[in-house]
Amino acid sequence: MVTVGYAQNSSCACFIKGEVRDQHSGLPVVGATVLIIGQNNGVFTDAQGKYQINNLCPGTYQLECRIVGYTSSLHKIDLTEGHEEDFSIEENEIHLHDVEITAHRTDAPASQPLTTISGSELFRTRGDNLAESLKGLTGVTSLQTGSSISKPVIHGMHSNRVLIMNNGVRQEGQQWGSEHAPEIDPFVATRLSVVKGAAGVRYGSDAIGGVILVEPEELPFNKSLSGEVNLVGFSNGRQGVSSATIQGGIKGFTGFGWRAQGTFKRGGNVRTPNYYLDNTGLSEKNFSLSVGYRLKGFGIDVFYSRFDTQLGIFSGSHIGSVTDLLNVIKNGEPLIKPGFTYDIARPNQNASHNLIKAETHYHFKDGNRIQWTIAQQLNDRNEFDLHRPRNDSIAALNRPELTFKLNTLTNDVVWDHKPIGGKISGQVGVSSLYQYNLMSGRPLIPNFNQFNIGMFWIERYAKNGWEMEAGIRYDYRTLATHRIVRKEKVSTDFTFSNFSGTLGATKNISQTLSARLNVGTAWRAPNVSELFSDGVHHGAAAYEKGDSTLTQEQAINTIASVKYTSNRLTVELGGYYNYIADYIYLKPQPEPMLTIRGAFPYFKYTQTNAVFRGIDLSVDWELIKNLTLTSKLSYLNVYDKSNDSYLVMIPPNRWDNQLKYQLPVLGQVKDAFISVGNLSVARQKRVPANSDFAPPPKAYSLWNLQAGGTLPVSEKNEFEISISVQNLFNTAYRDYLNRFRYYADDMGRQVSLRLKWKFGV
Amino acid sequence: MKMNRKITWMLLFGMTALFTQCKDSGDEVKPDDENELITTVILKFTEQGTTNVSTFKSSDPDGEGGNPPVTDAISLKANTTYSVGIQLLDESKTPAADITEEVEEKSDEHLFIYTASPAALLTYTAEDKDANNYPIGLVGKAVTGTAATGKLKVQLRHQAGTKNGTATPGSDDVNVDFDLKIQ
Repeated sequence: MVTVGYAQNSSCACFIKGEVRDQHSGLPVVGATVLIIGQNNGVFTDAQGKYQINNLCPGTYQLECRIVGYTSSLHKIDLTEGHEEDFSIEENEIHLHDVEITAHRTDAPASQPLTTISGSELFRTRGDNLAESLKGLTGVTSLQTGSSISKPVIHGMHSNRVLIMNNGVRQEGQQWGSEHAPEIDPFVATRLSVVKGAAGVRYGSDAIGGVILVEPEELPFNKSLSGEVNLVGFSNGRQGVSSATIQGGIKGFTGFGWRAQGTFKRGGNVRTPNYYLDNTGLSEKNFSLSVGYRLKGFGIDVFYSRFDTQLGIFSGSHIGSVTDLLNVIKNGEPLIKPGFTYDIARPNQNASHNLIKAETHYHFKDGNRIQWTIAQQLNDRNEFDLHRPRNDSIAALNRPELTFKLNTLTNDVVWDHKPIGGKISGQVGVSSLYQYNLMSGRPLIPNFNQFNIGMFWIERYAKNGWEMEAGIRYDYRTLATHRIVRKEKVSTDFTFSNFSGTLGATKNISQTLSARLNVGTAWRAPNVSELFSDGVHHGAAAYEKGDSTLTQEQAINTIASVKYTSNRLTVELGGYYNYIADYIYLKPQPEPMLTIRGAFPYFKYTQTNAVFRGIDLSVDWELIKNLTLTSKLSYLNVYDKSNDSYLVMIPPNRWDNQLKYQLPVLGQVKDAFISVGNLSVARQKRVPANSDFAPPPKAYSLWNLQAGGTLPVSEKNEFEISISVQNLFNTAYRDYLNRFRYYADDMGRQVSLRLKWKFGV
Repeated sequence: MKMNRKITWMLLFGMTALFTQCKDSGDEVKPDDENELITTVILKFTEQGTTNVSTFKSSDPDGEGGNPPVTDAISLKANTTYSVGIQLLDESKTPAADITEEVEEKSDEHLFIYTASPAALLTYTAEDKDANNYPIGLVGKAVTGTAATGKLKVQLRHQAGTKNGTATPGSDDVNVDFDLKIQ
């Protein structure tokens, strides 16, 4: 708790004092930095987690709390009210308000940029899928397959190069597929964070591009019943989303907390400015349950979630031969243009993901902490091709042409050692992963068994505005694959192992200026599709062939950023240079692949040395009172060093601007605003020659409008509403990272209405 | 510290115990089941008024990838009318599956297109109709032009629910270029 108060007599003798506690355990946090932004005042918490900042003049302050191993938090403190009042009153009577500082644990490396969406900002993305929700962050875009399937892209990397931590568990689906969206319901989370850059030490292999953290709120131990209901309507696709959460403690049983949450989503054919896209409906049903118990330093949480989706895939994207593809490109728009329907027909994909997780921890009295997380995930994916089998009796069964079942068991044991001298903290951990994949249908990827074990050690040191971090990790992985080649079973085994390291520093140069630098490494073993794929990709009209001699990718990423924060201006400028040795990509082959369906362009998985370098810039500037300009620029340049060329499917540069006017208080409505924004995306000019059927699409510029506000009804009841119009002028455009850009335009105008009712008793 | 160690060991033991449920995915490898595969296209030209039959084949018995398909050169007499039949096989299965029957059953979803280039080499007319009175092309008539060489493209268009008598809708199930010699 933070106490804000005034001492007697002098007008510049106000003080702020309080205590910092761990959100999870409620125990005091030792050695946290508490500072006032824009002031030369910063203190550390003592052995009881207490601190005090003295000699403050009346005014409004931003109080920031930074702790090694936790996310930093900002609190607005108002010391203006009541400054004309009697200063001789007792200390306990001059509380202005209590602000709770609960420190939120994070495993994210302290010296790497971490961006979080939560609260109202998250509310305004509700109803969108995970990748779409994150799209507003600098350096983050999405790889789309039509409008319903999107995968997050961080600094130009996606799929197996981006790791998603769903509630502390490494998400394991069929991530290698660019049309396999992460099976996660964003309504589970109250915070979505992105760690940019290689973060291999804490999270293990694959985190070459970055990590996405999907985190729910702490369970409401011993609290009364509360919850929220979200309703979202989208005009395009006539989509409706409803989601509800209810949570509380258990009366008569101290130490318990629980939560139940569920989401329904249903949408129909999406419309571009000029026509509907056939078979682009979707249906989604998700729920999650969690329950936890706390007793002094001990805690246990059990979490179960189920994600279940059925996605129609735009039927015009099924290509039998290259002639078909060239015909669609020549036509300029799809050959089939239906009306609106909610029906989902072939081709479609049905995916479900079950996660059960148990996490238990114990805080020792001396400051040590141990945590064990065990989780099982079952990912079930069925893909239906456009055409049923020709044979009637088989067709009548309506079986999927592809079935994948991926079963994953993960274990993580992490020990946080007690802070040494209040300055050094650290953790060591062991993570293991065991998984097997069963598949049937047309040949695509093999069955496999995979085992991975990793050990890591990270230490962090904080002193005098410096925060330093160093870590090392070792991973060992075995992969046993089984497939049928010419009616014979062939088994191939692989072993991969590697070290990862991280070294970083953060320096608070002054109260307004801070800088950070991180050098991190990460590696990635080739995935089964890169090793073994062999066949025509019907969405891309390409013959893709894997290579079982591929070796692992190794990335060294240097990332630096400078942040300036003052009352009216915040600027964050970051730059990165990510060198990836043996980067795996699909290389066009000079000779086409001949088949009975005609000649297909032939691509083979090949390795090269690539460089990903870029700049992320974000500016928040309060131009005049209540009028704020937010500007975000993402620049990325990717180069293939070995071949002196560029790489395909790299996001073009983008610039996002938003002008927001905070309305004065309107009756009971608070935080009301209106905003207008523009997103400009350049044409991708850096593409290798002769590697594509159509040139990258033209640059585009989209306008949007938003308005929203909050209406408190009572202390614990409030409504939040927002209305937004995306693609305001119904502009016809195509995005380079949409895999359907050959066939059709992107989505037209989209009006969304969001309503949230937050309640409590 | 003693307590710490005890708990750590307990956790590690619990962890190893959970690995006893391993499963070998190699025991459950299912044979590939490509239910749309066509490996072989056989064209049968019968000179009108005779029983002279010429057969030409394009086949890729190992399916897509591996060895490329082997395609015969078609050689026909100039200014002659032929009746043309077509047969499709999946020779990757034993015994080979006859896909022609399946196309015939689903004739309202399929259309064969014969395109000669230059166009003067050969003119093709389908002589069969589906339930909706659209051509199919399982049997047809070809009239050759004067002596010359070129190509004959044979396509099977799969047009589930969209067949309208033209080649435009749907996607290719077969797309083979035969060398064509009219002499």
